[in-house]
Amino acid sequence: MLTIKNLHAQVEDTPILKGLNLEIGPGEVHAIMGPNGSGKSTLASVLAGREDYEVTRGSVDFCGADLLDMDASVRAREGLFLAFQYPVEIPGVSNLNFMKAAINGKREHQGLEPISAKDFLALVKEKSALVELAGRLRDRSVNEGFSGGEKKRNEIFQMAMLEPTLAILDETDSGLDIDALRIVSQGVNAMRDAGRSFLVITHYQRLLDHIVPDVVHVLSEGKIVKSGPKELALELEEKGYDWIKEPAV
Amino acid sequence: MSQSSAVQDFVANVQAPEGALASLAQEGQEGLDVLPVPTRKSERWKYSPITAMLAHPVALAPAPDGWPADVEPNPVPGLEAYRIVLVNGHVVPEACDLPVADGVVCMPWRHAVDEGHLANFDWSGYHRREWVGALHAAYVQDGMFLHVDKGVTLDRPVLVHHHTTGDHTAACPRHRIVVEDQAHAEVILWHSASSGATGMVNGVLEASLGAGARLGLDKVQHEEGEVFHLAHEHVTQGKDSTFRIHSMTVKGHWVRNELNVVQQGQGAHTIMHGAYLPKDREHVDNHTTMDHTVPNCTSSELYKGILYDRSTGVFNGKVFVRQEAQLTNAYQQNANIVADAGASINAKPELEIYADDVKCSHGCTVGQFDDEALFYLKSRGIGDKAARALMVQAFIGDVLEGMSQEEVAQEVETLLADRHGWS
Repeated sequence: MLTIKNLHAQVEDTPILKGLNLEIGPGEVHAIMGPNGSGKSTLASVLAGREDYEVTRGSVDFCGADLLDMDASVRAREGLFLAFQYPVEIPGVSNLNFMKAAINGKREHQGLEPISAKDFLALVKEKSALVELAGRLRDRSVNEGFSGGEKKRNEIFQMAMLEPTLAILDETDSGLDIDALRIVSQGVNAMRDAGRSFLVITHYQRLLDHIVPDVVHVLSEGKIVKSGPKELALELEEKGYDWIKEPAV
Repeated sequence: MSQSSAVQDFVANVQAPEGALASLAQEGQEGLDVLPVPTRKSERWKYSPITAMLAHPVALAPAPDGWPADVEPNPVPGLEAYRIVLVNGHVVPEACDLPVADGVVCMPWRHAVDEGHLANFDWSGYHRREWVGALHAAYVQDGMFLHVDKGVTLDRPVLVHHHTTGDHTAACPRHRIVVEDQAHAEVILWHSASSGATGMVNGVLEASLGAGARLGLDKVQHEEGEVFHLAHEHVTQGKDSTFRIHSMTVKGHWVRNELNVVQQGQGAHTIMHGAYLPKDREHVDNHTTMDHTVPNCTSSELYKGILYDRSTGVFNGKVFVRQEAQLTNAYQQNANIVADAGASINAKPELEIYADDVKCSHGCTVGQFDDEALFYLKSRGIGDKAARALMVQAFIGDVLEGMSQEEVAQEVETLLADRHGWS
């Protein structure tokens, strides 16, 4: 589904990713952990198509197509989703108009008619209940006046609405209390299936108690330096990152 | 100060009005001789010199042969309104639909002058102050006269539609609205122009509101062609009255809107909202003056602009709080997005506060589109153009929402969507 080969990327003139390789198969959940500054969020931004990031080398294949060649909106229409670490407030744009435009953008890309008002509202009702946001979205601007937890739940709501093939969760657990963490995780778990993959970027092991990964990777200085089963996350929690940063023996 | 020869040429072909208006026209003529022609040297006209307008002589157009077949007299689908329509400053009676009701007088402005409705009227003095005001007065034409008696509410809004057509046309429409105590009227001012039209529209509107009166104006400028549009609105408000204007410049080659509101009675409330979205090399200038002269009044001013391509904009918002005007609550906000590197805005809030127990706040911003918000929208599969459209609609949404006639707001949005490719 996703094959990243020797990815190098920089912001302005500072190289951040320095030869990253990663392969995610359909239905798999991969976690990426690593210390601050290791390039976790840069990886998410590069994959989602943020413009300030320049890819200098390497390739990213997404379901057989060259991901790096696509505009951010096309990546989304092709089934990529990024749950933002800091969801953006957009005053004046209603949550529902926003989601409707997103869904219709995708449907147009697939050669489908725009969604009917009735189907759209039914979908909103179903998916917002999933993250316990029912009734909180109507008549409100995108993320405006939402608490930190609500913003993250709104990210998962949007993910559920758009049904991506690959979802990248960029530190979705940051700033969440234990209840919000549970709600967000339930939302994610409800969407796990054989055709959908997840890339979970996190600093802490606690999210991975709820969203159990198939593989855990450690990112350090722009490269994946270690990969292992879910138990690796526990080990990292216990020992920190320093032991991995040492050159492999 | 003498006029340059260019200015003499500019007005040489214009015929001055006669009859009851002769004295106003005479004062206008005198003003043309003594008042300075606006140039960049004058602070009020620094960013909107009229040099380009003066480069081509204009002439009043003859009375039209009926309403033009290719223009809708009512440009707003679904709008239920009375109607008074003008072409090049001439009322076209057969295309009008004037209200007939007890306590309401609505007729062409020229008739009202002839019938003596403006006999004791104190002309606002614009023509004694400004050269363009003198120009207007010297060649004043026709417009709407509306008088609503005490306690009367007009059952439908009145649409005043002015259409400009032809080459190097001069049009000087003038309107007068009187809303007596506790009366209520809603008026839509719609300006259109044919593609290929050139010349000048130099219009004046005077309105006065009695105690507890309410007047709302939805003003829309949607002019094709290359017309220089000078608008001057002068409003006086009595005790506990409410005046509202929403001024939307959808399209216009060169626009200068001057809006002066004077609160003369305690408890008056004023709403001045506007939006402008010029593109190409268009120019839009909004000069407003909010004059608080008595205690316990409020005002809320909000102008929003998005400037594309190589367009230029001006916002100059003056707020006076006179010494007597204690407990004034005045709010002013001007927000601009400069969408392209070649566009520019000159924004200038001016507050002059002479009273000491007042609440005045103002803000002025000039910025670009929020890249982070754009990326957020795009990351959900919304294309660049649609994402920008959503943000623009959100930006001017609070101005559009306040218009009293939903059909007018809807039509403005449709015109903007067509023009900017949002749909």
